[in-house]
Amino acid sequence: MLFSTSAANDVTVLRIEGELDALSVTDIRASLNTIAEGKPARVEVDLSALRLIDSSGVGAIVSLFKAVRAYGGSLTTTGVRGQPLAIFRLLRLDRVLIA
Amino acid sequence: MSGIINFTRMKGCIIVRLEVPGVIQYRDIMLRTLSATCKLIAPGARARSSRASLFAAHLVSAVGEAYNNIALHGYAGREPGMIRMEIEQGSDWIRVVLADTGASFDPAGARLPDLDALPESGLGVFIMRSFVDEVAYVPGPPNVLTLFKRLDEPREASPNSRRKGPAQRV
Repeated sequence: MLFSTSAANDVTVLRIEGELDALSVTDIRASLNTIAEGKPARVEVDLSALRLIDSSGVGAIVSLFKAVRAYGGSLTTTGVRGQPLAIFRLLRLDRVLIA
Repeated sequence: MSGIINFTRMKGCIIVRLEVPGVIQYRDIMLRTLSATCKLIAPGARARSSRASLFAAHLVSAVGEAYNNIALHGYAGREPGMIRMEIEQGSDWIRVVLADTGASFDPAGARLPDLDALPESGLGVFIMRSFVDEVAYVPGPPNVLTLFKRLDEPREASPNSRRKGPAQRV
């Protein structure tokens, strides 16, 4: 799993590639906390290169969503497809996380 | 520790057997093997690539969550044993059997999550049960979990779907 963040004009873009799962989620949690602590008005999570997500990965994204929403910010995901999209639809996350 | 992949053909079905140490690091080997096996299902289905892709996505998700439960919970607090996976691939269905010697956990006992509350945990069993047609569990040792999924007409994945299929108890 690879990830990167960029920020401009109070928008933080988080791009996650590969697999976000029980094995890789520990590598990203600190960065997710840092994003939330910065309190950007908007967070965009680019999942266009995410190949696989499991319940652990979902938990991490939902946790970030809640943290951002708690201070009045917004979080959306983009580029969700394949297996991650199937997971989002099952968990009804497409209704709240997909722009 | 060692990993073994065994491939056999019996009565028109392809059977792939794989055994890996029951730790999370080996999950990818299991899921990639399963994903590759899914590509062998029903040649005609390849023309309906979106359905075949969705089938694979669902089954890989379900088995991935089952694997997580074994590696992270079944073998928690103890020296991890092995996880044995058998994939049986028929004309338009796949049966996956996972066996382990960890703590038993019957997925039938898991509570349904409240999705409206956006839960951050406790989703693994729900995902597993929602994405296959039939789940069977026999506590052990070894514990044996059987997941069965058929490639059929498109429908929304639902935790209430219980089409019967040839799941078997080992």
